[in-house]
Amino acid sequence: MTREELQDNILSILIDDFEFENPGLDDNLRDDHNFDSIDAIELLGKIEIMLGTSLSREEKEKAMGIRTINDILDYIEQLDVMRNNS
Amino acid sequence: MSCAIIPNPYIPSTLSMNRRVVITACSAITPIGYGKDAILESLLHGKSGVSPLRDDGLLTKHIHSKVFGSVDYPLAMDFKRHFRKTMGPVAYYACQVAKDVLEQSGLSQDFITSGRLGVAFGSTHGSPTVQRDIYKTFFNDLDSKFSSIGAVDYLRSMVHTTAVNITRMFGITGRVIASSTACTTSSQAIGFAYEMIKFGMQDAMICGGADEYDTTTVAVFDNLLACSVKYNETPHCTPRPFDANRDGLVVGEGGGAVLLEEYESAKKRGATILGEIKGFACNNNGGDLILPNLDGITATLRIALHDASLTPDQVDFISAHATATKMGDVIEAQAIEQVYGDKPWITGLKSYMGHTMGTCGVIELILCLYMMDQNFIAPTLNLEEVDPRCNMLRHTRELIDARSSIAAVQNFAFGGVNTCLLVKNGRDALE
Repeated sequence: MTREELQDNILSILIDDFEFENPGLDDNLRDDHNFDSIDAIELLGKIEIMLGTSLSREEKEKAMGIRTINDILDYIEQLDVMRNNS
Repeated sequence: MSCAIIPNPYIPSTLSMNRRVVITACSAITPIGYGKDAILESLLHGKSGVSPLRDDGLLTKHIHSKVFGSVDYPLAMDFKRHFRKTMGPVAYYACQVAKDVLEQSGLSQDFITSGRLGVAFGSTHGSPTVQRDIYKTFFNDLDSKFSSIGAVDYLRSMVHTTAVNITRMFGITGRVIASSTACTTSSQAIGFAYEMIKFGMQDAMICGGADEYDTTTVAVFDNLLACSVKYNETPHCTPRPFDANRDGLVVGEGGGAVLLEEYESAKKRGATILGEIKGFACNNNGGDLILPNLDGITATLRIALHDASLTPDQVDFISAHATATKMGDVIEAQAIEQVYGDKPWITGLKSYMGHTMGTCGVIELILCLYMMDQNFIAPTLNLEEVDPRCNMLRHTRELIDARSSIAAVQNFAFGGVNTCLLVKNGRDALE
């Protein structure tokens, strides 16, 4: 999946399931969209389904530092790299 | 070195031990309507809210009772996702009626978040719909590599979900009491909230209860032979409190909230006084968890009168618990006779909507406030032939024009928990 495709998928999830209005890639998720730690857990579940793979606890914990949509995209891309290196 | 006592900012330095407590807002979602106008319309015209039991694709086919007190009209409840995500159906009801009472009250945002406003709110067992979905997911997806139980499913289903979704939505920082005692859930919530304010621990409380559409509860009572089964083809003919041909209770759903405030501050800010809580009693039968107990219930009624400093002849009418079970109505009738004789009018409001479980206490209190405001007492529906064992009371068999000053709201629960609230007409409370 290209970064563009990934971006489209994530934006669809955020708009449809999390009811984001006019999301910007560098918006602060918490301050601009009321996105909290519970939402982060829900989003990880949707990412698992999107990627067709389950995430380990360590991988999920790494997602807790995410602040923006660009961070989400970076995180998913890095998952691939981390898995290939391990 | 001296040890200074750190004052608690939420508790006044001088506790006032006997403050008056008034009701300044109320709202109910019931099987006979949402809001005062719709509910009054049903009460004044003897309209029943009992409907056929809806198929849930799971338990319905095993249940003999095919009737339910349903909220079958559309409700907007258009909360933002930020709030919705932690709410099951039961919390929707709770937050909607809480929103209504806060809007009615005119309380300032500063007060709402000050810590002097608390919440006493409950449900029978949180959200059974969400709990059922969790089990469905768990058993269906046992071999799945993805976890499909939601991160918020516990928050949506837990037993105190109603109370804390209210605090979250409105930023309330005061005390939280999440009663969960089946049929006395909301009457306990109101009673405990009354005591919180009376004894100075809080200045105001949003209190009440909610319960959602749930066939599990019907199945439980059905299994105990306590549900109505003879009127499946004519739902509006059941339940039949105190009637010789009653055959059990009808489970219902709904939500209700009242705002209780300390009298002097409510009067000072010009709040509308809908009623005054004069007394409350809560005790336990100390034994069997199911069978009604004459001594326990009689004691409850007497304790409430004592708490209110009222004599039995001062009570104008009684909203009886009156579920229409065979023994429950008889024991309640005996208790009322022992304490009150045959002077007060008796009405069984569950005849209109079935037994809304954890919500019944608050809904019945709100109906009493409406009736006192409009100077009438609604009759017990379907009371065609009074059971000879219950005929020593002054039953309300047709709509009565009556100016009432004091009403009693009685509720009794599985677990042997009994409650009684004594409420004064809002007009009289101001005198």
